Amino acid sequence: MSDLIGYLVTGLGIGAGFALVASGLVAIYRVTRVVNFAQGAFAVLAAMLAASLLGAGVPHGLAELGGVTLGALTGLIVGAVAIGRPGTSPGTSLIVTLGLGVLAYAVEILIWGDQPRSYPGVPGVADLAGARLQAHYLLIIAVTVPVFALMAWFFTRTDLGRALSACASNRYAAQVVGIDVRRMGLLAFTIGGALGGLAGVLTTPVQQVTFDSDVALIVNGFAAAVLGGLTRPVIALAGGLLLGVAQTLAAGYGGGAYQVEVALVLMLTVMIVQAARTGPVVETAR
Amino acid sequence: MKRWIPAGLLLAVLTLLPPLLPERHLATFVLLALAATVTVGVSLLMGYAGQVSLGQASFYAIGAYAAGLLAVHGVPPLLGLLAAPVIAAVAATLLGAPLLRLRGHHLAFATLAVQLILLSLLAQADWAGGAIGLQGIPRFSIGGFELREDLGYAYAAGFVLMIAVLIARNVIESRAGRGMRAAATSETAAAASGVAIGRYRLAVFALSAAFAGLAGGVYAFYLGYLAPGSFPVLLSIEFVVMAVVGGLGTIAGPLVGATVVVLLVQVLNTLGTQPGMPGYAPAVLSYAVYAVVLIICVLYLPRGLVPAIRTASTRLTGTRRPPTHPAALPPLTQP
Repeated sequence: MSDLIGYLVTGLGIGAGFALVASGLVAIYRVTRVVNFAQGAFAVLAAMLAASLLGAGVPHGLAELGGVTLGALTGLIVGAVAIGRPGTSPGTSLIVTLGLGVLAYAVEILIWGDQPRSYPGVPGVADLAGARLQAHYLLIIAVTVPVFALMAWFFTRTDLGRALSACASNRYAAQVVGIDVRRMGLLAFTIGGALGGLAGVLTTPVQQVTFDSDVALIVNGFAAAVLGGLTRPVIALAGGLLLGVAQTLAAGYGGGAYQVEVALVLMLTVMIVQAARTGPVVETAR
Repeated sequence: MKRWIPAGLLLAVLTLLPPLLPERHLATFVLLALAATVTVGVSLLMGYAGQVSLGQASFYAIGAYAAGLLAVHGVPPLLGLLAAPVIAAVAATLLGAPLLRLRGHHLAFATLAVQLILLSLLAQADWAGGAIGLQGIPRFSIGGFELREDLGYAYAAGFVLMIAVLIARNVIESRAGRGMRAAATSETAAAASGVAIGRYRLAVFALSAAFAGLAGGVYAFYLGYLAPGSFPVLLSIEFVVMAVVGGLGTIAGPLVGATVVVLLVQVLNTLGTQPGMPGYAPAVLSYAVYAVVLIICVLYLPRGLVPAIRTASTRLTGTRRPPTHPAALPPLTQP
C-alpha cells in the first residue's frame, strides 16, 4: 500500500513535468498550428543554465528563474525563425523547429559538454501515509498546479489571453478585428518556451538532464497533448499526469525495464483510436 | 533512349569511382551509398506518398539485425542479405496497417515513437546482444568467396543503391505511381478517381522499409558489429534532411542530398579532428551542419537542390524541360 502511494506521488511529479512540456506544445499549436519539435530543447537549455548558475553560487530560485527566462527567450527565437517568414506553412515550420532542436544540441555540447547534469532540489525525504519519497516531487506538484490555474486565468480573463484564444479559434476573424496574428504567434512561442523551461528546472533534481534528453521529453509531452487533440491544456495536464503514473507503476511493478514502451504504446493507441473515429481520409481544405 | 542517360551516369560513377578512391575514403563511399539507398525510400515516402517518417532508421536497424542474426546463426550471408529487405518490409506492413491511419505530425511522432520502442527493446534483448550489441557477424561471402576488402563492400553498396534507384523509377512511372502522386496532391480527389489510397500508402511504406532493410543488411556485414546505439533517432532525422535537401519527388534528389550532406559532414569531421580542436568539435559541427542545412533549405529552397538547379539551368540555356512533380513538403496539418 505504501509502495503504491509512493509510486503514485512520484508518477504525478514526473507527469507534471510532461504536462508542462505538453502545455507549451498546446499553447504554440493553438495559436500557430505548428507542432513545436524544439519544445524539449527549452527544458534542456533552462536546466543546463540553472545548473551552471547554481554552480556559480547563485541562490536557488534566482538560478531557476534564470533558466526559465532563457527558455522563454529561446522560445521567442525559435518562433521568429519558424513562423517569421510570411507564407511559411505549419508543415514547413515543423521541419524548421526540428532543425532548431538539432541546432540546440550543438549549442548545448559547445557550452555545457555532453555529460549528464543535475543539481540538488528540495532536500530531505517526505513521509506520506507510510510512503517515503523525495520531498522534491511535492515541490514539482506544488508549482505545476498553480501554473495551470494561472494559465487558465490568463487565457480566459485577460485581453491578451483572449486575443491569443481568438487566433486559436479563427485566424481570419482575429485578423479582421485587428489582432496581429504573427505577433500573437511569437508570444505563444515565448510562453511555450517558459513552460518548457519550467519543466526542465523543476524535474532536473530528480532526473538528470543530458543534451539529448529532449527526445524523451518531447515524445512524452506530445503523447500527453495529443489526448486533447493538441488544443486543450486541461486534458494535456491530465494526460501528462496519467503518463507519469503509468510509467512509474510500470517501472515499480514491472522491474523498471519497460516503462518507455508503456507510455509510447499508450500514446500510439490513443492516436490510432482517435484517427479511426474521425475516418481515414480527412483532408484540410486548401 | 534519353531516359537511360542518368541511370548510365550513375552506373558509371558507381563502378569507376571506388578503385580510384584512396583506402581511407572507401568507408565514406560505402556509408554514402547506403545512406542514399535509404534516402531514395524516404524521398518516395515523403515526395510521392506525402507522409513523413521520423523513424526510418528503425527499418535500417531491422534489416541490419535480421541479416546479422541470421549470419551469426550460420545462415549463408547471401540468404541473410536477401532476407533483410523482406523482413523489414513485413515489419513495415504490420506496423503500417494501424499507423498509416495517422496523418501529418501525428504520423511523424508515431514513427518516432516506434523507433524509441524498438531501440529500448533491442537494448533489452539478450538474444540480439542487448545494449552491448551483436558481435561476431561473419564477412559477406558467396560460395566460398569472401568479401574482405572495403573495395568489395563499395561495389556491394553501389549495387544495392542501383537496385533501389531502378525499382523506385519503375514504380514512379507505373500506374500505381501515378495513383500515388495523385494521392499526394489530394487524397479526396484521388480516392474519388478510384485510387486505393490505403493500399498504395502501405505499399510505399513497405517499399521504403525494404530499401532501408537492404542497406541495413550490407551495413551489418560491412561493420561486423551492431548495437542499438548505431541507429539513433538522429539517424532517422538525417535521412529526412538528405531527402529534403536534395529535393522530394525526384530520383536524383535523394542521391544529391545524401552526397551533399555526407560529404559536408565528412569535411567538417576531418576539420573537427584536427590537432588542437577540442574533443567535442566533430559532434558539434555535424549537429550544426544538419540543422543549418535543413533550416535554410526548407525556408529558402523548399523544393530542394535538384529542382532548384533544374530551374536555374532552364533559365540559363533556355531549353524547356517537362515539369516535374510539384512536391514541396507534404502537408502536415490535420483538420
